[in-house]
Amino acid sequence: MLFLIGQVLPYLAAGVFLAGMIWRIATWLKCPVPFKLTMFPAPADTAGRVLAISKELILFDSLRRSEQGLWLWAWLMHIGLFAVVGGHIVGISQLGLQFTALGMSPSQSVAMSAALGTGAGILLLGALIVLFYRRTAVPEVKRMSNPADYFDILLLLAIVISGMHMRLTTLEVDLAAIRSYMAGLITFCPAAAPQNWIFLSHFFLVNILLIYFPFSKLVHLAGFFVTRSLIVAPPPAYPTAGSITKADFGARRAAE
Amino acid sequence: MKPPLHIAKANEVAALGYRVTPEAELKLRFVEKLEEMLPKLRSLMTMLDTCTRCGSCMQQCHSYLGTEDYHNIPAVRADLMRSIYKRYFTWAGRTLNRFVGAEDFDEDTVGKWLTYFYQCNECRRCARFCPFGIDTAEITIMARHILSELGIMPKFMQGVAANMVKTGNNMGINQLATLDTVEFMEDDLLEETGVSIKIPVDKPNSDILFIPSSADFFTNVYTMYGTAKLFHKLKANWTISSSVLEAANFGLLFNYNAMHSHNLRLKEAAAAVGAKTVIQGECGHGWRAAKMYTEGLNGPVPFELIHIHEYCDRHLGQLKFNKLPIRVTLHDPCNLARAGDVIEQPRRIVRACVDEFVEMTPNREDNFCCGGGSGILMDEMMDIRMKLGRKKAEQVKAVGKIDYLAIPCSICKAQIPPVMKHYGLIDFEMGGVMDLVGKAIVLD
Repeated sequence: MLFLIGQVLPYLAAGVFLAGMIWRIATWLKCPVPFKLTMFPAPADTAGRVLAISKELILFDSLRRSEQGLWLWAWLMHIGLFAVVGGHIVGISQLGLQFTALGMSPSQSVAMSAALGTGAGILLLGALIVLFYRRTAVPEVKRMSNPADYFDILLLLAIVISGMHMRLTTLEVDLAAIRSYMAGLITFCPAAAPQNWIFLSHFFLVNILLIYFPFSKLVHLAGFFVTRSLIVAPPPAYPTAGSITKADFGARRAAE
Repeated sequence: MKPPLHIAKANEVAALGYRVTPEAELKLRFVEKLEEMLPKLRSLMTMLDTCTRCGSCMQQCHSYLGTEDYHNIPAVRADLMRSIYKRYFTWAGRTLNRFVGAEDFDEDTVGKWLTYFYQCNECRRCARFCPFGIDTAEITIMARHILSELGIMPKFMQGVAANMVKTGNNMGINQLATLDTVEFMEDDLLEETGVSIKIPVDKPNSDILFIPSSADFFTNVYTMYGTAKLFHKLKANWTISSSVLEAANFGLLFNYNAMHSHNLRLKEAAAAVGAKTVIQGECGHGWRAAKMYTEGLNGPVPFELIHIHEYCDRHLGQLKFNKLPIRVTLHDPCNLARAGDVIEQPRRIVRACVDEFVEMTPNREDNFCCGGGSGILMDEMMDIRMKLGRKKAEQVKAVGKIDYLAIPCSICKAQIPPVMKHYGLIDFEMGGVMDLVGKAIVLD
């Protein structure tokens, strides 16, 4: 069992996640764009388009204009998630010593790493709870929610809670052991996972999330970029120049 | 579920070359059609896959705010297609079914689609506010296309489309009637101004082909008069074409193939008179169909394509106006503003024509739809139309005392007057922006 969770599942999860996402995105991009969906006023050049998409990506600008309460918590949730994912990569690979590069002493850096990680975790946890509450509290949103909509939040909550448990309780987790385990996975020389049941459940749930991700609404991570690029695309210019992809809706009238 | 609109009968559908799909085949054909259409547009599958059901579109949709019908929430409306898509075309939907919101096609599906995809005005306001930019209009347009391809369409759409096929315009005006009406209009213009102002029809070697809304020849003649005076004053070499006396393109509102045919008419008419510039009159969705879809539907076109407001705005410096002593506010037709980039031009024109221009809130690309958008002008839907127009009425009311409400789009011109009357707003006139040009322009 430990072998399956520690040395097989991670590869399965990473493989399904990568292949699944590539497959989903390729399926979208294979479809033609015969008609421009430009929303006006439209950015004038590539720099403007990048700026417009970045503003949406980083600030959730449309949502802020639409519903500020939801915006606040959705934004905090995503910022928290981003910080936590980034913190995992840096914190585990550097064992919390990453801030020595900024001139801190090793013990200061580890304390700083722990404080920031805890902060981001609390932020993420709090925001997820608020978003879950909102889904049940706004009658229309409750009615439109599928079981999967709750499942997504609950899965994330379970991952965050198990993660925070390792951070906040005295149940010591040996960061160095986790690092060498992860390094083994990445270099395709998988060693046995550390036998810490909290770590194992945390790690197991993350693997489940990765497998589930490409087939759920969580693909909005990728869908965002495709949809947004459609909205800011340059409009057609007339007289038209160059080649045009004509749409084919199987026009019935052969004469055309 | 019985939709609140009249459905075209078998013989009417047949007149457009379609066959009403028999009940027994419906599920099969429906799913087949969806499968055929999904790979046609990148927007469609991406937008079906990306929604997180956060529900923020709820507050931004005049259709939901006006009708307070749960199914008119954009995300819920899109779910009508999304649930079927999930059920038959996604791995998660096929295995997990209801857990991820997948639904079987059942005897209620078509009724629900007809009811709610015909209460979406395709105004694209949800896309302005959705965190992902999901445009419910894309889904509505495709849903209506799929229905019509299966021979299921509102009687209203069928009637308009049949007229389009027969005469090239929605009203069914043939060439003789056009010449007759134009003669009457020229007489009327002469009587009003003392100047002989021509409205050339099918004139060869014209620089400009003007595509009016056919309603400008019946109910909205002052829009046509304003346009004719403008061309006269600028000594433009222009004409209208009796083969395409219609900026409106109802194909956009129910069937891509019908849209294709009408846009082709536009291309051919421009070639026939040798026009270098095609100018579209005051019609919202027609402008979007021409500007955004011509290239993709009909390939490269050799002419410049602009809106009459753009044309007028470009020449404002050459024009003189006797400013009208009135207070005017402007309703931005969704397809002109958000979807068509005609945003500042009508404002500059109105400011040039009248003493006082005042904005309603919200305006420009954030404006609310009139509730008639996407051709929801069926008489039998009058109660629902009034609800769809509620937000607009509230906006106009909030502006305070006005003398004129500018509504430069033929669908708005058909929808807004009854809406204003319904909500007790009767102390002002309504009409196009070109109407104001016609009234204020100095001809000599």
